[in-house]
Amino acid sequence: MEINKKSMFLILALMLSMSVLFSACSKGDEASNQNKVVDQGDAGNFILGETPLNFSFYGNYDWYTMNPWGQDPATKWIQENKKVTVEAIQSGGTALQKFNTMIASGKLPDVIWGDRGTDVEKLRMAGKLVPLDAYLDKYPNLKKWAGDKTLNMLRSEDGKLYQFPNWYTKRPMGNGGYAINNKIYKDLGSPKLETFDDLYSYLTLVKEKYPKVVPFEVGLSGQGIDFLYAGMSEDRTVGHLMNRAIPDGNVLKSLFSDPVYRESMVFANKLFKEKLITQDAITQTRDQVKEKINKGMVAIYGDFTTTVMGTEANSILKAKDPEDGYTMIWPFHKEGVDPKKVWVNEFDSLGWNVSVITTAAKNPEGIFAYLDWLTGEEGERIIFWGPEGTYWKGTSESGAPLYTETYANDVEERTKLMAIWDTFQWAGNTTFIDESKSVNEMNLPEDKRDWATVSQTNVAWKTSFDATEFGNINPLPDSDEGIIMQQIADIADQVRAKALFAKDEQEVIALLDKAEQDAQNAGYEKLLKFQTQKWQENIKKINE
Amino acid sequence: MKKDSMAAVMSHKDRKKSFWVRYIAQIDLQLMVIPALVLIFIFSYLPMYGVLMSFQDYDIFGGFFHSPWVGFKHFKMFFDSPDFWNVMRNTIVISFLRLLIGFPAPIILAIILNEVAHIRFKKVIQTISYLPHFLSWVIVSGLAMSILATENGSLNILLEKFNLINEPINFLSIPNYFWGILISTGVWKEIGFSAIIYIAAIAGINPEVYEAASIDGATRLKKIMYITIPGITGVIIIFMILAVGDILSAGFEDILLLAKNPVLQDVSDVIDTYVYRVGIKNSRFSYAAAVGLFKSIISIALLTIANAVARKIGRSLW
Repeated sequence: MEINKKSMFLILALMLSMSVLFSACSKGDEASNQNKVVDQGDAGNFILGETPLNFSFYGNYDWYTMNPWGQDPATKWIQENKKVTVEAIQSGGTALQKFNTMIASGKLPDVIWGDRGTDVEKLRMAGKLVPLDAYLDKYPNLKKWAGDKTLNMLRSEDGKLYQFPNWYTKRPMGNGGYAINNKIYKDLGSPKLETFDDLYSYLTLVKEKYPKVVPFEVGLSGQGIDFLYAGMSEDRTVGHLMNRAIPDGNVLKSLFSDPVYRESMVFANKLFKEKLITQDAITQTRDQVKEKINKGMVAIYGDFTTTVMGTEANSILKAKDPEDGYTMIWPFHKEGVDPKKVWVNEFDSLGWNVSVITTAAKNPEGIFAYLDWLTGEEGERIIFWGPEGTYWKGTSESGAPLYTETYANDVEERTKLMAIWDTFQWAGNTTFIDESKSVNEMNLPEDKRDWATVSQTNVAWKTSFDATEFGNINPLPDSDEGIIMQQIADIADQVRAKALFAKDEQEVIALLDKAEQDAQNAGYEKLLKFQTQKWQENIKKINE
Repeated sequence: MKKDSMAAVMSHKDRKKSFWVRYIAQIDLQLMVIPALVLIFIFSYLPMYGVLMSFQDYDIFGGFFHSPWVGFKHFKMFFDSPDFWNVMRNTIVISFLRLLIGFPAPIILAIILNEVAHIRFKKVIQTISYLPHFLSWVIVSGLAMSILATENGSLNILLEKFNLINEPINFLSIPNYFWGILISTGVWKEIGFSAIIYIAAIAGINPEVYEAASIDGATRLKKIMYITIPGITGVIIIFMILAVGDILSAGFEDILLLAKNPVLQDVSDVIDTYVYRVGIKNSRFSYAAAVGLFKSIISIALLTIANAVARKIGRSLW
């Protein structure tokens, strides 16, 4: 009997330990199965719509989840008419880990969609990416819409093209800028709001008359503070702050010793100290910002997402009182600065991000053919507005889909579907989409037009700087320059925040002096040299 | 039959038998230990070869076998880094504060709860105090941030209502307040859950001892001093040793989420956040591994010292 009991325990223990082993292994099995599932297709004589195409797709962002393929009208249409099926590999909220695990285990997805730069370069240098040059002429949409200049800029050091761009553009875009609260503005007698002096006296007036209202809401991480730099001198753009490098002639120079940056930080410190800027500027969450602007508790709101966040806030306030709401205004500038040369937005012709095809893909040509179709007129219409018949019927001369009644009336369902389709938009064609939108928008009466579209066309796009030449000038993070850059980024973030809390102008200057010294000790010059070289190479590529 | 086998295990003669004979004799107990051993082996010992990465320039494509060996390069880089002393200071200060305040807090709560006569009230307090343990730091920090906000923050509104301050205080941007905020949110979140073990230990004390003390005329305070606290000293010491071994783990998620303002970096940067910010986020795996290994070695040393001290008073872990 004892033996029976013992053997039962033994079996139990074995089962337990085996289950542990299995659970440890199963992850690896899954990944290798995924590779097997991928259908081959005949690479040589591929025809999109005739040869079935299956590939796996990984979006390298924490927040990104691809919707299931074939479950909505658009991808169902693609599956039926183009014989394309995409299998999602999800990041599960931990993109960095997932990405590194896939590399370390050697099990790459067929397509990786993510930011340009570091990750793409790492994969390319390891020989894991398929060059796309061979397909460019056979499938003409990308070449036609993006143009040679943009494609040249996307090329890697070896002269080959590995990246398929998303939301590339030939025209300015952006969402940032200042918006004023209409009701407060009218109450205070609609003063002139153009220069920084106007801004200062208006904010002081707001604080006096509306003690509960935030005079200047600068948004998440104090983004609006960077606008002050942009307005201090001509052709200064917010991007200089992100790269922590100021162009001067054909060299990039230190941010901390730049007189214009210093002047903007002194001004920011003054506004912050006098409580004219939100006191939670650096620490607040997106919800906190939203709450304030949606309640109309700010007099001026400015950050990089003004046209996005402002749309909702504007419609909430307008619903209560038609006189209320927000209006986007031209960016503030220092007295004497040409307002036409103040840039609070940046765009580059390369767009937002890219798709790369890895060597794991069995049919890279097929994948390219699909992306190329997607970025063309037909693909963009299907993935943005759905198959013909529901929200659009027929096209204009330029290929723009013409909205149906359903488009205007079925807002709720349409918004839901468009959000789903957005997760399949990997080859966004900004020029085509924007032109198509404005074709339809212009058919609407003025008061029915979208707040975001009006704000963008009147202000945001006109204050957007073409920063294509500054694309990809930063080093890889594990290189020598990359290690320096991380230290400089820390120094810059700290000094920007400390300068806000400084007690007077002298302290701001002292902090910036100290930052300059720390940065030089960390090797700032070496980094700036690297960035300058990359920047000059870009200029050469653009002018080729 | 059971008695017999137990006696056989314990008998003097048995001790001389070989390891395997003794092992088989208590196989039913050993089988219960095996799954735990397997788990520890797979998840703690097997991945340990990864520490070798800290002596390499690890290349994620080449993997472990194709990365060049670089000796102590990454350790040297960490020691020479301008952040080193700041990171070490913050780590030690924050841990020390946790040990000083966070460690005794649940013990005090357990003793206080033990003195509450009303059973239902006691249960309610216990439940309320341990619930925050199950909230993630994302939620707790969101709560803390909205309470401490300058504009519309509940704490500032409260202080203003009582005329204690004239102007709202920017709690989350002033370095002087950070350690206090960090420690107190930590205590709030974990006090109830950590108290459970001490409440259990107190429950294990023989009630007759209290009765005898009452007859001898001991006051409540005396009973706490001479019965309750000595009764749970063993448990306290074990947790103390473990806490000392953890002294370089000053926190990660809580600091990452509460110290959003870069102004706070001088007081908030600890080893784990530093590893994340500088190492993992920039894919500097070898550097991250080196700093992590450094931390582990110090921790093992501290654990051994704490244990040696505890052995002097006869209550060591091993």
